[in-house]
Amino acid sequence: MAGLESKLPVVPGVKNHVLEACHHVVKALRASDNNLDPNLTKLLSDLESHLSTLEIVDTKVVVVEDTGFSEIKKGFKEAKKVILGWEQNQSMILEAGVSKADLFFQALHDVQRVLTSFKALPIRTNKKEKDVYNQAAVVLDIAMFRLEKELCDVLNQYKQHVQPQYLSVSSRGKDIVYDESFVSLDDVVVEATDDQQILGSNNVVLLDPLVIPHIKAIAKAMFACDYGQAFCEAFITVRRDALDEYMSTTLEMERFSCVDVLGMQWEDLNGEMRKWTKVLKIVTLVYLASEKQLCDKIFGDFEPSSAACFVEISKDTVLSLLAFGEAVSLRSCQPEMLERFLGMYEVSAELLLDVDNLFGDETGSFLRMAFHELAKTLADRTVATFSKFKNAIASDESTRAFSGGGIHHLTRYVMNYLKLLPEYKDALNTLLGNMQVDDSIPEKTGQDILPSTFSPMARHLRSIVTALESTLERKAQLYAEEPLKYIFLMNNCHYMVQKVKTSELRHFFGDEWIRKHIASYQHNVTDYERATWSSVLSLLKDNSKDSVSTSRDRCRLFCLAFDDVYKNQTRWSVPDPELRDDLHISTSVKVVQSYRGFLARNADRIGEKHVRYTCEDIESLLLDLFECLPSPRSLRSSRRRW
Amino acid sequence: MRPAQDNQGSFLGRISIRRNQFTDVNTEQEQEDLELFQKHIADRFTELLTPPPPPQPPSDETDAVASVAATEQIMSVTWLRKLMDVFLCCEAEFKAILLMGRDPTQISKPPFDRLVPEMLDRSIKALDICTAVVNGIDSVRHYQRLAEIAVAALEQRPLGDGNVRRAKRALANLLIALSIEDKENVSSGGGGNKTVERSWSFGRRGGGSSAASKGGATIGQLKSSSWAVGRNWSAAKQIHAMTANLTPPRGNEAAGLPLPMFIMSTVTVFVMWVLTAAVPCQERAGLANHLPVPKHLNWAQSLVGIHEKIGDEWKKKEKKGSAGLMEEMTRMEKLGHSLIEFADGFHYPAEKEAAESAAAQVAEMAEICRRMEEELVPLQQQIREVFHRIVRSRAEILEVLEQAGKLSAPVV
Repeated sequence: MAGLESKLPVVPGVKNHVLEACHHVVKALRASDNNLDPNLTKLLSDLESHLSTLEIVDTKVVVVEDTGFSEIKKGFKEAKKVILGWEQNQSMILEAGVSKADLFFQALHDVQRVLTSFKALPIRTNKKEKDVYNQAAVVLDIAMFRLEKELCDVLNQYKQHVQPQYLSVSSRGKDIVYDESFVSLDDVVVEATDDQQILGSNNVVLLDPLVIPHIKAIAKAMFACDYGQAFCEAFITVRRDALDEYMSTTLEMERFSCVDVLGMQWEDLNGEMRKWTKVLKIVTLVYLASEKQLCDKIFGDFEPSSAACFVEISKDTVLSLLAFGEAVSLRSCQPEMLERFLGMYEVSAELLLDVDNLFGDETGSFLRMAFHELAKTLADRTVATFSKFKNAIASDESTRAFSGGGIHHLTRYVMNYLKLLPEYKDALNTLLGNMQVDDSIPEKTGQDILPSTFSPMARHLRSIVTALESTLERKAQLYAEEPLKYIFLMNNCHYMVQKVKTSELRHFFGDEWIRKHIASYQHNVTDYERATWSSVLSLLKDNSKDSVSTSRDRCRLFCLAFDDVYKNQTRWSVPDPELRDDLHISTSVKVVQSYRGFLARNADRIGEKHVRYTCEDIESLLLDLFECLPSPRSLRSSRRRW
Repeated sequence: MRPAQDNQGSFLGRISIRRNQFTDVNTEQEQEDLELFQKHIADRFTELLTPPPPPQPPSDETDAVASVAATEQIMSVTWLRKLMDVFLCCEAEFKAILLMGRDPTQISKPPFDRLVPEMLDRSIKALDICTAVVNGIDSVRHYQRLAEIAVAALEQRPLGDGNVRRAKRALANLLIALSIEDKENVSSGGGGNKTVERSWSFGRRGGGSSAASKGGATIGQLKSSSWAVGRNWSAAKQIHAMTANLTPPRGNEAAGLPLPMFIMSTVTVFVMWVLTAAVPCQERAGLANHLPVPKHLNWAQSLVGIHEKIGDEWKKKEKKGSAGLMEEMTRMEKLGHSLIEFADGFHYPAEKEAAESAAAQVAEMAEICRRMEEELVPLQQQIREVFHRIVRSRAEILEVLEQAGKLSAPVV
């Protein structure tokens, strides 16, 4: 076969083209004008006769070449044998080893050369030669079909299964479940999200790297024989099925119609939204990035096909993911969806750059645009949900006072929800940048130096808490007993401060806010003490003119008033132990001191048997306050000692 | 000249005038708007039923005339794109009637408290159909690529047995793909079905040795396991559900806003039905027969005409099985059959006469591919535009309803 090349009359082939072209020029010139200059007519005739002699000479060359043809034929026969041999063999060429594979590709190459050399000599009319050409084309097609099958087999067989190692999250325990009364979000439920560590460069292996050279060889052969399209079709089909399988089997992503999504229970939808957020990231950053690399590796020399094939492989899956985002956006945005929407928005916005890179060219513009559209839609929905969230807090009404004056579930819900938000600070700052807000700390003041304290998100967080405070203020008005109102406000304000101080939120609320709110609940304490004890203690204010009976009366009245307070306030609740201790101490200091003073001044006159409580009694009884006891404790049975 | 277009300007103008005086609703004005709306609907569909003559006088080249005529034909990809435009126009006009200058509480009172949610419900179902159809068009693009392979092979000169063999394989795959009724048949448990079809094709057409029949050759279908829209989703069920409560308004409702709502819903259902008929779509059994369109109404005359034409065609095809009625696909199928016939009788070297007639068919196939290449992706984009338009309109209507809810809610 090696000798074939030198004997092949490449030059005459070219010459034939030139001759043909000349014929055309002559014809065209004749046709262009009926009144040609006679000189020119003559010139053309001469040219034509020259051309025909040249052609005869050329034919002679071909005849001379016939010895070459027999060699072509012989070479072709061998190549044909190799290729047809594989028709009987169902196993992969790849598995027969490199040398066998090379033999196949070499045979293919030879067949291809027969075809090109024939095409270079279009005026051959020899029947034998034509037959060889025809047979060569058939053998080529057989080989191509064999390679197509080989391609599918190898891609299927050596596909690497991507483990869902990134998807450990879907089964995470309880979730924030919303209900109208804001009851469900308790402190226990909230846990930091520690997943999400999917890094951009985390590529995975989708296909055994050992077979890549073989696939590249198939690509090269098929593209060279003008079967590039068939290669792409087969490649796309197999790889798309692999992605499909990955989505449905490994990631267990189900497809939902808009009707499905609109009819879904919130708990289920919540799970699906959470899952989507992760899957979109994994699919884009890990799977598709790797798929693109694979395409680039295999199509290396056929650049445009690479991008087009990649788009075809990923299109269906990407569109189905986007469709879910669009379907979710159709739901009326409920406050409880805020975090999920934030997550979805954040991931879609974050991925835009990667998407632009993945689908950079013209064929991918469709997907690129769809992705950008979705990010925009999700941004709108998130902002709308954010407003809904705030409105829901601001307009939460109750008809009955919250029993015990403890921490309202609205406060718990809101504060715990807010704690989830710092994770989305970039997204929120972008989204809320243009939204009007009334901030309780409009200017940079005091020691706050962190820029985060004055970011759009911080302003909105403070304004949400302001809304919460006014709602709580309204709820406080429902209490018949004034002191309980203060206990309620104190408890809730203290809870807010604690939540802020002990979390990321402190960087957003800032020291100034914390200082103000500590002052606020301390003020509640003072108010409480005034409201409860000033009237009780006023009974102990004696003057020297008091008679014995008046003093006894005072002591009795004080004890009765104290009993009353005790009966009531042991049912009240101050859940925070430290706060409760503080309250006990400061109350104790005031009450016990006054009482002790009173007794010291009047003990003699009243007489011991008329003193119902000692100072120690009072001190220890005070410790029962705010313990949220289920029923009023009977003082007589347990505490009285006589 | 397009009278419909001209009227539209003044129509919208009038609406915006009315906006400024909505406290005193001018019923006469409203009547006029409604009539105009019906007229526009009628005009637009009439134009779709009987395409206007090509804008330029026919030139010497008869080919050009023929191709223009074919382009405009019902169910051609160009026609489908026009249909999408018509839908978007109707929708915009409808929304103007429904929302502009209207007191929000008006559309929250009976009978609208029933009619509006029903309409919104239909629009959600339409969204899913859009998604399914965009996906179906991807299958059509796959057919196009198969046809392109056949064309490329048959354009080879000199045409040898090898080229014909290659073309035949592509054509066989193309014809299988074109004759599969529902995408669902292939993508669901019907795997057996697919295998049967496949080996049948290679067995009979015999692309080569027995090895070929098992081969991983490109087959005309796209997916094995996934669903375009969602498991158990069915285009037929959605269309049924959309028409279930769609009845023409009666009595004094017939004169007011319920009428354009009914018209727009009918147009939506009809357009969605056409799309599912045109391209492969998940589960559409029985749709050929089922689409109650209101007869005897002036605005619906042409719509009914188009419906009948497509319905007849669909019923004919349904028995044989067909991936879709898109005109290009139908012609592709016809050409595919006769080219396979040519291929079956082919002996090298080609007979001059057969080769020439085949060449003409190949050229026609190439032309179809070219048109698909030009228009399928834009059609997909238009359908996505329709999708987004429906989403936007729905959001706007919901917003108005919410506003109405606030206005009418008792102040506590």
